[in-house]
Amino acid sequence: MPTRPDGAAAERAIVLAAQGGADDAFSALVRIHQRRAYAIVRAIVLSHEDAEDAVQEGFLHAHRALDRFRPDQPFGAWLYRIMANAALDLVRRRKVRDADELPESIPMPFRDPAESGELRERLQLALSHLTSRQRAVIVMHDVEGFTHGEIGRTLGIPEGTARSDLHHARAALRRLLQNIRSSS
Amino acid sequence: MTHDRWTSDDAALTNALRALYAAPTDSSYWDALEARILSHVAQARDTGLWWGELVDMARPGLVAAAALILAATLAMARSHQLDARNAYGSVIAAPSTLEASTRGASLGDGDVAIYYLLSR
Repeated sequence: MPTRPDGAAAERAIVLAAQGGADDAFSALVRIHQRRAYAIVRAIVLSHEDAEDAVQEGFLHAHRALDRFRPDQPFGAWLYRIMANAALDLVRRRKVRDADELPESIPMPFRDPAESGELRERLQLALSHLTSRQRAVIVMHDVEGFTHGEIGRTLGIPEGTARSDLHHARAALRRLLQNIRSSS
Repeated sequence: MTHDRWTSDDAALTNALRALYAAPTDSSYWDALEARILSHVAQARDTGLWWGELVDMARPGLVAAAALILAATLAMARSHQLDARNAYGSVIAAPSTLEASTRGASLGDGDVAIYYLLSR
């Protein structure tokens, strides 16, 4: 998380200033958290552009709800929950999943997994076949290094559900990418 | 469970996932995103203020309009009530005239006396 334990008190002071209406304090919060916020929403939405929009909306929601935030709570966890909800809302609004166009498995000759742009494309397609929550869980865990507990708190689901979602997401991704791996 | 962890074969996929989801590293990108976020927040706040002022300005007018509608409704209800009362009064008054004229036409004084005696 962006805030180290010794930085928690400093961040609390910034949050209090932002709650008091200081614009520069809110700017500081954006600067501290925008990278992590981007990573979280990027795990949920399907494109970089959507991730930018979701981060923007998330910070707007956070600004509007700042009065209701209790400063004794970790600000990051509160903010990332808002970010995840903003991203999920965006996914719902844009209806990015169109399962009719996606085959159950994706046949594709595949040679060099580490360097192939084709893998990137196939992977993107396979990920778009997962639910937004499965995608979020697998990316947050495997790419961002979130624990199951952190994923659960951010997405508003029990830790066990996050664990189970990860298992199902991996199984689905394996199935979708089966042909790629078998031909490598 | 066998599928809880990626196998070594899946390491390439993990790498590909990381490449796919890598955040931009250029600091100018983050400066630009920060500016965009703050501009969006400021714009929304200004719109909210403008809307709030509009609502404040419109509020007395809305109260006056509501009062006018209420007064008009009461006046209409009262007028309707008066009309109904007048109509009822005219209906009550009409049968006595009719009854007298009907009785006068069909029964003479002698008939009335006979009916009176028979009914005893």
